Amino acid sequence: MFLQTLVTGLSIGGIYALMAVGYSLVFSILNFSNFAHGTIIMLGAYIGYFIISSFNLSFPLSLIGAVLGAALLALLNVELAYSPLINRRSPSLYLMITAMGVSIFLENMVYVTLGSHFYAFPEIFKQSNLKFFGSDISPLDLSALVFSLVSIYALHLFLIKTKLGTAIRAASYDMTTASLNGVNMTRLIGIVFLLAGAFGGLAGVFLGIKYMVYPTMGWITNKAYIAAVIGGLGSLPGAVIGGLILGLLETFVSVYISSTIRDVFSFSMVIIFLVILPAGLMGRHLEEKV
Amino acid sequence: MLKVKDLNVFYGRIHALKDVSIEVDEGEIVTIVGANGAGKSTLMWTLAGVLKGKSGSIIYRDKPHPTVAHEAAAGGIVLVPERRRLYANLTVRENLMMGAFLRKDIEAIKKDLEYIYSLFPILKERTTQYAGTLSGGEQQMAAIARGLMSRPKILLLDEPSLGLSPIYTAEVFNTILEINAQNTTILLAEQNAKKALEIADRAYVLETGRVVLSGSGKDLLQDPAVQEAYLGVRHKAI
Repeated sequence: MFLQTLVTGLSIGGIYALMAVGYSLVFSILNFSNFAHGTIIMLGAYIGYFIISSFNLSFPLSLIGAVLGAALLALLNVELAYSPLINRRSPSLYLMITAMGVSIFLENMVYVTLGSHFYAFPEIFKQSNLKFFGSDISPLDLSALVFSLVSIYALHLFLIKTKLGTAIRAASYDMTTASLNGVNMTRLIGIVFLLAGAFGGLAGVFLGIKYMVYPTMGWITNKAYIAAVIGGLGSLPGAVIGGLILGLLETFVSVYISSTIRDVFSFSMVIIFLVILPAGLMGRHLEEKV
Repeated sequence: MLKVKDLNVFYGRIHALKDVSIEVDEGEIVTIVGANGAGKSTLMWTLAGVLKGKSGSIIYRDKPHPTVAHEAAAGGIVLVPERRRLYANLTVRENLMMGAFLRKDIEAIKKDLEYIYSLFPILKERTTQYAGTLSGGEQQMAAIARGLMSRPKILLLDEPSLGLSPIYTAEVFNTILEINAQNTTILLAEQNAKKALEIADRAYVLETGRVVLSGSGKDLLQDPAVQEAYLGVRHKAI
């Protein structure tokens, strides 16, 4: 029972981390909470669902389609909605409010065009559970966990090892200086949104399989936002650790206490963190010496 | 190489540069001297493509000057900004490599990195340290080094001696001479007028956004007005 809960908690945490990464990437560069990210995740889930159910294509193709589709939607989002504000050097509050508007708009577009149905993914992972030390572990949980950790680790390597990744980290500290070094900021911001969208698409498919696909599923990103705050907004390792902590906490509370008060625990944790450690576990404390 | 003519720049509602005209020839060290708020940094940011002029022209190598920062950098105009502005969250080496962001010649980058480590041995020791942990003087070295990694055609240095001890200040000025000897044109904005004029081929004095004096570095050092305003020499009896 304990092991099963642990794996379930970690897999939910992994999905939270996938979503939180998108928030953190955007926050680290533009310093605002991109509340439209949840709707991008939702749209990614729809894309994945329709590829697999309407076109009868395989699961890997649906995953790739969702990743590419969500990445492109995120790019469209920044080009159409945020770029005019960024170019005018608007305060980040304006960007956040615009993001909320984009989110409401897209969600209602889905209501109007696709309706409020709940779509369930066809069975992809076999129901039969893996037996492991006497516990039942679902293949879905296991693959969600593996996928999220591997892809986030790949992103980490990209940010640490490549020139472009270094430029993203540099710009997250000082955009003006990065442009002095020859970084085309418009393009870099586009790349950051592509990455965030791709991770959103991945998260969307796993969320859709685990729960269902419906217009307001994007609101579950509230949890990812909590994960990002716990870990420290703008920090990638923070997003992962925050996601895993939250996933474990929720699952253990559901199993050992009661699932109805699960959210009380997660939201209390945010409050506690904001009071005691406002920058999160791995938030930025770096100060330049003058 | 660089010709600025009747440049007017506004900083919000403030008219920061008023009909400024300066010229920098290939291989020169040109110094801009002026007090706080005279417009030195505004001029530097405009030349680097971050700020935009309202009127006037900037001609760089016989072409209109690129008005976007990353294009200016690609054209070889490299600014080492005031207060260094290193990436505190990156290591010293990563900071230096950001200077080479636009370059693709991997072998030459390696060579340049070696050259920079020979120029500033302290940076080699600190190569894996976060730039935020360096002392002020070391940060200035790193900032100049990052600028050099871009292989600039013209290096704009904004107040490189700001907040440095006399020893570091001397080192910075020696480095500037050495860089210039390697055929890099230098435009230097400084409050430390004496040192800056001593190494300058030519110089301009900027006061509240206007060029009020210009001439060779030596001439300006001898100029009574400059001596009184910037060098602490008194000519009149009290």
